[in-house]
Amino acid sequence: MSREELPVFRLVDLRKIYGQGEAAVHALRGVDLTVAEGELLVLLGPSGSGKSTLLNVLGGLDRPSSGSCFFRESDLANAADAEVTQYRRRHVGFVFQFYNLIASLTAQENVELVTEVSTEPMPASEALELVGLGKRLHHFPAQLSGGEQQRVAIARAIAKRPTVLLCDEPTGALDVATGVHVLEAIVTANNKLGTTTLLITHNADIARIGDRVVRFADGHIRSIEANERRIPPSELHW
Amino acid sequence: MRLATLDRKLLRDLKRLKAQAIAVSAVLACGVALFVMATGMYDSLERARDNYYDSARMADVAVSVVRAPDPVANDLAELPGVNAIEARVTGIGLLDLAGKSDPVSARLVSLPPDRHPRVNDVLLRAGRWPDPTRDNEVLINEAFAEANYLAPGAQLRALIYGRYRELDVVGIASSPEFVFAVAPGGMLPEPERFGVVWMGREALGRAFDVDGAFNEVTFRLGPGADIRDTIFAIDERLARHGGRGAYGRDRMLSAQFLADELTSLRTMASILPPIFLLVAVFLLNVSLSRLVATERSNIGLLKSFGYGNLSIALHYMKFAIVFALLGAAIGVLVGRYLGGYMASIYQKVYRIPELAFDAKINVYLWAVVVSLIAALLGAAQAVLRAARLPPAAALAPPAPVGFSRLGQGIENAARNLDGKSRMVARRIARFPRRSATTVVGVMLALALLITSQHFPISMNHIVDVTFGVAQRMDATLTFAETADDKILAEVGRLPGVFSVEPLRATEVIFTAGSRTRRDTLMGLTEGAYLYRLLDQNMDAVDVRADGITLSQNVANKLGVKIGDTVSVQATDGHRAHAEMTVVAVVKPYLAGAAYMQLGALSRALREPGRVSAAYVLMDSRERDALNREVKELPMIAGVSFLSNASASMRKMLNEGSGFFSYMFVVFSCLMAAGVAYSAARVTFAEQERDLATLRVLGFSRREVSYVLLAEIGALLIVALPAGAILGALLSRWLMAQFQTELFTFPYITESSAYGRSALFVAAAVVGAALAVRRGVDRLDLVGVLKSRE
Repeated sequence: MSREELPVFRLVDLRKIYGQGEAAVHALRGVDLTVAEGELLVLLGPSGSGKSTLLNVLGGLDRPSSGSCFFRESDLANAADAEVTQYRRRHVGFVFQFYNLIASLTAQENVELVTEVSTEPMPASEALELVGLGKRLHHFPAQLSGGEQQRVAIARAIAKRPTVLLCDEPTGALDVATGVHVLEAIVTANNKLGTTTLLITHNADIARIGDRVVRFADGHIRSIEANERRIPPSELHW
Repeated sequence: MRLATLDRKLLRDLKRLKAQAIAVSAVLACGVALFVMATGMYDSLERARDNYYDSARMADVAVSVVRAPDPVANDLAELPGVNAIEARVTGIGLLDLAGKSDPVSARLVSLPPDRHPRVNDVLLRAGRWPDPTRDNEVLINEAFAEANYLAPGAQLRALIYGRYRELDVVGIASSPEFVFAVAPGGMLPEPERFGVVWMGREALGRAFDVDGAFNEVTFRLGPGADIRDTIFAIDERLARHGGRGAYGRDRMLSAQFLADELTSLRTMASILPPIFLLVAVFLLNVSLSRLVATERSNIGLLKSFGYGNLSIALHYMKFAIVFALLGAAIGVLVGRYLGGYMASIYQKVYRIPELAFDAKINVYLWAVVVSLIAALLGAAQAVLRAARLPPAAALAPPAPVGFSRLGQGIENAARNLDGKSRMVARRIARFPRRSATTVVGVMLALALLITSQHFPISMNHIVDVTFGVAQRMDATLTFAETADDKILAEVGRLPGVFSVEPLRATEVIFTAGSRTRRDTLMGLTEGAYLYRLLDQNMDAVDVRADGITLSQNVANKLGVKIGDTVSVQATDGHRAHAEMTVVAVVKPYLAGAAYMQLGALSRALREPGRVSAAYVLMDSRERDALNREVKELPMIAGVSFLSNASASMRKMLNEGSGFFSYMFVVFSCLMAAGVAYSAARVTFAEQERDLATLRVLGFSRREVSYVLLAEIGALLIVALPAGAILGALLSRWLMAQFQTELFTFPYITESSAYGRSALFVAAAVVGAALAVRRGVDRLDLVGVLKSRE
């Protein structure tokens, strides 16, 4: 199999257990999943179903207890700490529910924080332009609305042209209109940059923007469905 | 008993904040320890001295006289204000100790035949009291006995007034007048070479040829007696017997030394602890403000449940109280330990029975009160903020910390920085007061350490200059009484002597306007080489024949300057009186006096051709031969070698200073580390989310640690030079504060004092910051990022 044909992620019997003995919590109970290059995958499921744990493992923020988690040909489950840091630095863009911007840096500087250490980044202003914030470059986080802050976070995540974009409930703290803007930014990145994107949401309606929808329950994948057509975020109502 | 829920929260929060509690309490403890040590030692020393002076009837006034018949003593006892007197015979003799080449001087003091002295009692420490019927039985002072390994039963060969006598030591004793026993003409106790010998009045009277008479009187005054009137009356009464002028305790060297030491302790107690307490106030302010900020929503919640502002305020005040009590407890324990050590040093220097570190309860109470005041001052702002927080506002998320661009100039400079460095720069600028607290804390720690390093440098400089540049004789031969200057030729013929310079020293009373002072007037030869006065550039200042040169402290006491006239009254001989012009003022480091040209002094005293001591330059290989001959010369009452004096001076000045140097290194480093730790903790807590974000974004631990450490590093870079400047100023100022009657501390600096101090302080800061940095390794990336800001 050539590099291009390799899936971005290949998970085999992935398990994650927190704690020990009676207090042990099985967050992932044997997950098998393959994610293809450029795909937009939506993860759906109730709280505690394991989707965030999966995203954290894929992002190199957490380690599985057993099983394999291949990013292309390297197994993240057994990589050294420094390798995982490098992986995050080169390949992963994160977007969280809470924006986690650095309060002491402007929008542009928040993005530059990442581009300064990336190999082939896009200019920070271009990334912000892409998420519709071309005119807010020099504002500090405290001077931006919630939706704007989230879009800065997306710009920061995509500016380095990551291989994968991991979004954990990016619209969870936002109203509908603002949420749509944010989703548009994510979809734009996926379309224009071909970034493989995994997006967690509680909202079944949002699932329609993805290529496939993975439903989680109790640490298992209950179903994987392919959408016939990806709906643009502007057509969503919730 | 069940603890109130808020108090249980307090206990758990304290457990969580224990590292910060330790940092704040450690700085508080340093201040408290210094306070307990200095104040407790001051009280203990003062009390021990006063008790000793009272119980052993330390003289209030003393006078020496050429020779007064015994019945005169009865008249003196009748003088108004006089409570008790003791008329006695004293003099200087030489002792020949087996196995000791250098002659040992002794002050011989008579004991009444059938009782203890009424003034300056003698306390038997070992052995027995001399048998009045046996002339050769004597007591010797404790310090001398210990230094020379003499015990009751020892025998001494003494040269008294030109005649050898064999003395039997029957007891070891101490007396309040010799708490600090100094040889005549000396500056410091040298117990190996100077002793006090008490012997029967009759035997000593015969030895000094003052049978049926006395040559010294000591007085205890009654309560309310006016010492100046009494001195005047004594002088009047003794004038025709050759009275040399009565003087109070301020001219008794032993009492003066003790008074000086007490002054230094008081200075220490009033200056050093406040510096530490001030830093603790800052630290508490930073720590508690941070705590209240993080507990904002808790405060809102509690208020919404109906907790009043007062109970909220009290809750946060309790944090400060716990810090204060912890600091006070550690400080008291450390202070007691340091005080005990200090007392053990004092016991070696001062012979005061029952001198121990014994701080009274009020010292400890004050320590707790001071600690509490400091803690509450530090907590005040945060406590008020917690109390005033409206519950609705507290429940809403805090307004995000608004950052802004730095000034245009700084922004231009910052443009070249990478993002992480810009974060650091903007944080420092955003929280200027907190940044300033860190800088000031580290500055003060460095300044204190630099200052403490300056004292040994200054002391060694004093010794180097006094015994190397100013005094260059190899030995000083002191004559039993003023001698004809023909004796100089005899001294010149002693083995190994190259050159001889004379000294005429006499006690005089200076008067200028309403001020008087009794001091020594030294007559030196013009162009003297062996004993020189120095100006501030260390150049020799020649004595002059046309007027008097005063040391700075004598000039200050008299309130005179160059060009003023002082009246000089001799206290012995012809009791000459003269008006003299002050022609120069010099600033010797050790007990200054007054100086003039020898010939002019002799003329003024109307005693030409008299000398009281000789400075000699000699071949050190001939020292034993010289010692042997000197012991046979009746006119010589004492020989002191400069090398011995300089060694004992160095020993005394450095006694304990090594320990105190360590103490200051520890205290200053604690202060610097405490400040840095608190600052780094707060920075870490506030930036935890940012640091975790950076980690998530793919920055390595090292890069993320940089954001945390660069802030402390940048503040350290500012604090070090500023602390060095402050250290120089503080050293200079403290040296002046510690100046006493007998010592002047020059501000002498060595770059090593700065380098070493900066190194210690920087190491403490870096160590503390690295301890906080470990938090970066333990960052819970997921947890931090998923929680709401």
